[in-house]
Amino acid sequence: MSAIPDPLATSLPAVGTVRRVSVLRMLLSDTGACIALVLVLLAILGGVFAPWLAPTDPYANDLANTLKAPGDFGWLGTDGQGRAMATRLLYGLRTTLMMGFASVAIGGAIGGFVGFMAAFYPSLSGILMRLMDVLLSFPAILFGLAIAAIFGPGLTAVIIALAIATVPLMARVVRGSALVILQQGYIEAARSLGLRDRHIILRYVLPNCLSAIFVFVTLRFGQVILLGAALSFLGLGAQAPTAELGAMAADGRNFLFFAPHVSVLPSLVIFAVVLAFNVLGDGLRDALDPKLRK
Amino acid sequence: MLRHTLQRLLLVLPVMLGVLLVGFLLMQVVPTDPAQVRAGPTATQDVVEAIRQELGLNQPLWKQFLIYISRLAQGDLGVSIINNVPVVQELGNTIGPTLELMFASLVWAIPLGMLLGTVGAYYRGSLLDRAIMAVSVGGVSLPVFFLGLGLIWLFGFKYPILPFTGRTGPLWTWEGLQGIILPAVTLGGVFVGPVARMTRTSVLDEMGADHVRTARAKGLGEMRVLLRHTLRNALVPVVTLIGLQIGFLLGGAVVTETVFSWPGIGRLAVGAILSSDLPMAQGTIIVLSLGFILINLTVDVLYAVLDPRVRGA
Repeated sequence: MSAIPDPLATSLPAVGTVRRVSVLRMLLSDTGACIALVLVLLAILGGVFAPWLAPTDPYANDLANTLKAPGDFGWLGTDGQGRAMATRLLYGLRTTLMMGFASVAIGGAIGGFVGFMAAFYPSLSGILMRLMDVLLSFPAILFGLAIAAIFGPGLTAVIIALAIATVPLMARVVRGSALVILQQGYIEAARSLGLRDRHIILRYVLPNCLSAIFVFVTLRFGQVILLGAALSFLGLGAQAPTAELGAMAADGRNFLFFAPHVSVLPSLVIFAVVLAFNVLGDGLRDALDPKLRK
Repeated sequence: MLRHTLQRLLLVLPVMLGVLLVGFLLMQVVPTDPAQVRAGPTATQDVVEAIRQELGLNQPLWKQFLIYISRLAQGDLGVSIINNVPVVQELGNTIGPTLELMFASLVWAIPLGMLLGTVGAYYRGSLLDRAIMAVSVGGVSLPVFFLGLGLIWLFGFKYPILPFTGRTGPLWTWEGLQGIILPAVTLGGVFVGPVARMTRTSVLDEMGADHVRTARAKGLGEMRVLLRHTLRNALVPVVTLIGLQIGFLLGGAVVTETVFSWPGIGRLAVGAILSSDLPMAQGTIIVLSLGFILINLTVDVLYAVLDPRVRGA
């Protein structure tokens, strides 16, 4: 599974202030990243506006027109219950993106909090980071299996599992960059002015960690989508008739030999979206840290 | 060395205990009554109560946990509520095929990934390097099931030359070897990219090192510089990183096993969860978790053996 965390993904850009204009310019000079950015935006727009864009009802069966090939009936053909693939793909994308967004947001918020605490209070650091190491030693799929066993399969189970798997990664990223910021002179100045810890973290540390967080979140989003789709493919995620890309690909297994498009189309969409997030994340990292550009 | 190993072991024990606790609580939060399940739907209240006594379900929770641990220590993980087979027996049957699949995947994916990464680093910036990196980013983004289904379609249907359902025999027979090709290509396929990326980074770092420049200055041949002075040092961190990610390969194995109906522990776990077979689900999750902890521990200790600098840390 591509649960394999890319070690390069953790080599995040050096923190510090980078001029926004030059970052944008560097990103735009990277053709791959530009294409990826467009793809990501298109995917998000497609997911958000699925109810308006979709030509048909995503749950309306048409048993007289099942498994039609693309172009033959409707735009991208129909699935095993005669539902238009184009519609299902849009709704599936919506579910998949929402699942990814929810898990990265929840896991990222908790992980970020832990990371800042560990960086700011050295006495807490040992126990917190040890705990994160423990979480880190289990792959996301295992959390998925365990949570689905407890709460029963479903989208919620997948979101909880992926959020848990995101917490330690985010904590590491945030702690790493916050530690560097905390060394800076202006933090000492803020401290000697008698500012509160919360104020220092929110006003001075957090904004300077944002570039590292942004790169991490972009790359993580791709991984989470891939993992969530895999869990749904296994039947542990979104349940029928909900349209979800991984579950749709699993559904198409039954017709693989005579209607491969039912499986191939959702798989292709997942691949394209994850690839776009990965390329965009790499591009962002390069743009934010020119030192990595060798 | 011994001290490092002992330290790691001490850190691992509470984690193992935590896993067992979660496994135990798994059975507690589920609303079904295990005594009722074991007694069957037609049992009288007296029988259920007797079984409740026998299983120790009237004891306080911490005592139940101790009972559960001692049963576990004796290799008793309960009985499947679907087919009444002991969980331990099913686990024993499925662990072999899973290890077999992982081995068959790594045996080609690691060398290929290392080769691609080295070639990429050596010709860095060239078209070849960029092509290799593009393929590896693609590999990282590819859903395992997509690769698996694609291979089934191509070699099982379009050109039906390879079997694609289940384990066709032991690995040392011709049938068994044929049967493992597609699953192993699928699972290994998603591993090549990350290995190539790690190798490339590591080799690039090493190629700029002083001793490599010295080797060149001495007038050594390119091949010798690359193999003896660069690769030997570059591959140590790569091997460790791979070791740490073997655990994650098991995640891919779960999907691969499901796609190819491979009779491994991942497929067993998924099947158990989908059919609400709690003892079986609990058993597979505990065994998988303990497996990860052991793999991490082994890699940790091996790392210290390979790199003396780590020992002090």
